[in-house]
Amino acid sequence: MREMPANQLNPRIKSVWRINDAIWIAVSFLCCFLPFAIIALVAPEEAWAGVVALIVAIVFAALLVLCVVVLPPIRYARWRYELTPDYLDIARGIFWRKRFVIPFIRVQNTDTRQGPILRAFGLSSVTVATAAGEHEIPGLGIEEADVLRDRAAELARLAREDV
Amino acid sequence: MSAPNVPPQAPAPMPNPPAPAPAPMPPAAAAPSTELPRHHVHHSYIWLESVRTIFIIAVCVVVANFSTIIGLVAEEGMGAEAGFIMAVAGIGTLVVILLTFGIVAGLRVVGYKHLYFTVGPDEFTLCSGIFNKKQVHVPYQRVQSVDQRATLLQRLFGVCTVSIDTAGGAANKAVVVPYVTKAQAEWLRAELYNRKNALAAQAAVASGMAGAASATATGMAGAGDPIPQSVEAGIAAMAQGAATFAGNVPSPAAAGNVLDVGAEAWNQVGGVFAGPAQDTGRVTYEYGLTNKELFLAGLSNTTSVGLIFAGLVVGVLQIVGFIFDVMGDAADGAVESALVFADSQASAYLIGAVSAGVIVLVLVLWVLSAVGSCIGYGGFKARRRNNRIEVEYGLLQHTFQGIDIDRVQSVVVKQSFIRRLLGYCELSLGKIDAGVSEDSSSQKNTLANQGIVIHPFVKMNRVPEILAGLVPEFADLPREAKPVAKVALRRALIRRGIIQGGGFWLAVVATLCLAGLTWMGATGTAELLELDSDDLFLLSIGWNVVIVCGYGLAAILLVVDLVGAVLWARESSFAYNHRFMQVSNGGLSRETVSFPRQKIQFGCTKSNPLQRRAGTDTLLATTAAGSGGTTTTLIDASHADAMAWLDWLKPGGNQ
Repeated sequence: MREMPANQLNPRIKSVWRINDAIWIAVSFLCCFLPFAIIALVAPEEAWAGVVALIVAIVFAALLVLCVVVLPPIRYARWRYELTPDYLDIARGIFWRKRFVIPFIRVQNTDTRQGPILRAFGLSSVTVATAAGEHEIPGLGIEEADVLRDRAAELARLAREDV
Repeated sequence: MSAPNVPPQAPAPMPNPPAPAPAPMPPAAAAPSTELPRHHVHHSYIWLESVRTIFIIAVCVVVANFSTIIGLVAEEGMGAEAGFIMAVAGIGTLVVILLTFGIVAGLRVVGYKHLYFTVGPDEFTLCSGIFNKKQVHVPYQRVQSVDQRATLLQRLFGVCTVSIDTAGGAANKAVVVPYVTKAQAEWLRAELYNRKNALAAQAAVASGMAGAASATATGMAGAGDPIPQSVEAGIAAMAQGAATFAGNVPSPAAAGNVLDVGAEAWNQVGGVFAGPAQDTGRVTYEYGLTNKELFLAGLSNTTSVGLIFAGLVVGVLQIVGFIFDVMGDAADGAVESALVFADSQASAYLIGAVSAGVIVLVLVLWVLSAVGSCIGYGGFKARRRNNRIEVEYGLLQHTFQGIDIDRVQSVVVKQSFIRRLLGYCELSLGKIDAGVSEDSSSQKNTLANQGIVIHPFVKMNRVPEILAGLVPEFADLPREAKPVAKVALRRALIRRGIIQGGGFWLAVVATLCLAGLTWMGATGTAELLELDSDDLFLLSIGWNVVIVCGYGLAAILLVVDLVGAVLWARESSFAYNHRFMQVSNGGLSRETVSFPRQKIQFGCTKSNPLQRRAGTDTLLATTAAGSGGTTTTLIDASHADAMAWLDWLKPGGNQ
């Protein structure tokens, strides 16, 4: 295996992932759980509804543990990037490990994005777009992100215009 | 609604109809765009489109009223009263149609006044809209391809719809200029390309100088990947290419086909308003389809192949049903067997006739669809003109596609199963496709959505010649192919035979059915359903036939899958040199994609745990072809090869 890219994300991204996943899981849990719970409450003679609600609850609890406790550290450890003068190198993925090489001369535009959760943790994400799709580096410190974006934009500016 | 029939071109800015005070020119109207000549589209925009709309409305009205009139006639008989009512209805319908025509035509007239385009120094501008003004600006450097399409009606009058594809933008819509005369369209196309090339040449000279300066500064000669070839070199290469292939331009008569006569006739007649042909550049290479190629292309059209398959399935089902029936009848009691035999024979004839009818119908449909697609390919011509590649086809509905050589993203050699059996292939060029914007009538063509097909059906050994003539820039494709890893064969057998294998899963389903059936028999569900023994017997025979057929089909599919996997592992490879990359994916149908290094937007290697244990990686090279990019994939290249490829992808990695 060749050497991994040098930089890691900001460690606070783990909390962002946890909160994000927890919100999604909670919403979809309510959508799946409530109908059965209501049936079980309104019509106690329908025993199956309670069973289904219980199963849903167990499945989502397991999912919650997986996404909040188990996955974020592994994901964090596997997510690496490096910004060389010419190209952006990204390695990520837990089971399906991916390694991207994105030459800056192909980059069309770069921008930083910040959702409310990222902002709360003082992070922002940089997006690098090529003519065929974009790549996101989530969770960098705000200043770090700005530097990275400027540098990517500067290098991309030297690129040839046409596609 | 009696708008004056305004003559087409009025270079002076139109006075705004609702504005009462004509004297002061508003400053907005005196914007730079007014300095440029405004080109209006052809006036058939008004009446041709109106006529079409009217036709649709008339059909709707007639259909809607028909039942009422029929009902009246049936109720009252054909008396004087009914005649009166019908006359009133007819006049009313006529009035409605005329009124709608007036409204539509009036709107069209106003819309026509506000629809024009200008060809500025840096960009093409299309202005449209009556109330909601819309201006679309297209910088020449963003033009990907210029296509023109004409429906049969448009073609009769010598007008066409021009669509200009651009790269980028969220929606990535094509700019559509409707109802342009052919002469105007050709002029526009040449103008767009010329201006784009002029701008590109300027930029190239500038960047070339800058590149030279930086190269001397850093002491690195020829640094950088994009190969800033000087314009002179490019032109020289082009001239050379032209000189090489100017000699062997095949004459249309030599490589023609029967439908070329029709296409020639179209070219001779042109259409009512077509205007004189424009000289848009020198053709250095051109070819059409031979009779054989045309017919094979038509016959092997995907829809017709689908029809054959559907027909076969229906026929087989019919025959199975027929056999089942005969067996069922034969199984009935021996006493009435003679009677039943006669009966069953009659029904057998009936079923035979029905299935023969179905097969004949399918054949007729297939022939019709084949003839249709032959006509669609009729007049097919691909040519190289200056540094553009032009493809046109369609005997009735005509399509013309033009693309600049440096917009070609990839060259694809595709062999479907049938083509492979015959030793033929389909050649196409990948380009950045644009979504068609909403105001163009939805004349989607099947060919237009998959890049540009430069030859639908060509013998494999002619491919190098065609590529050398049409795209000499793709001459030095890589030779030394790196095949997939040895272990890929095993993995392919498992992947294609089992995980994605239709045969395997069909066998699983059949087994489940069998198990279910046995269980039903064991628990005696039949008694519960009160079936007598004869019915049960028939039922079990029917089920057995179905399951045996299922297993047979599964076995065939499995063998096909496995053969495909073996072929894939043998033939798949990738290769790269300093300018190009080539990926071949084999199997029962083969596809080889070649693309310049410059067009690779980004590359990626991917591996799952099993691949990591086997020491392989999946390569994914993404180009901007298609809408939203195309990723060319090669599964299971060896890890070392994959890492070397990643290094090659880095800027300067090809040195």
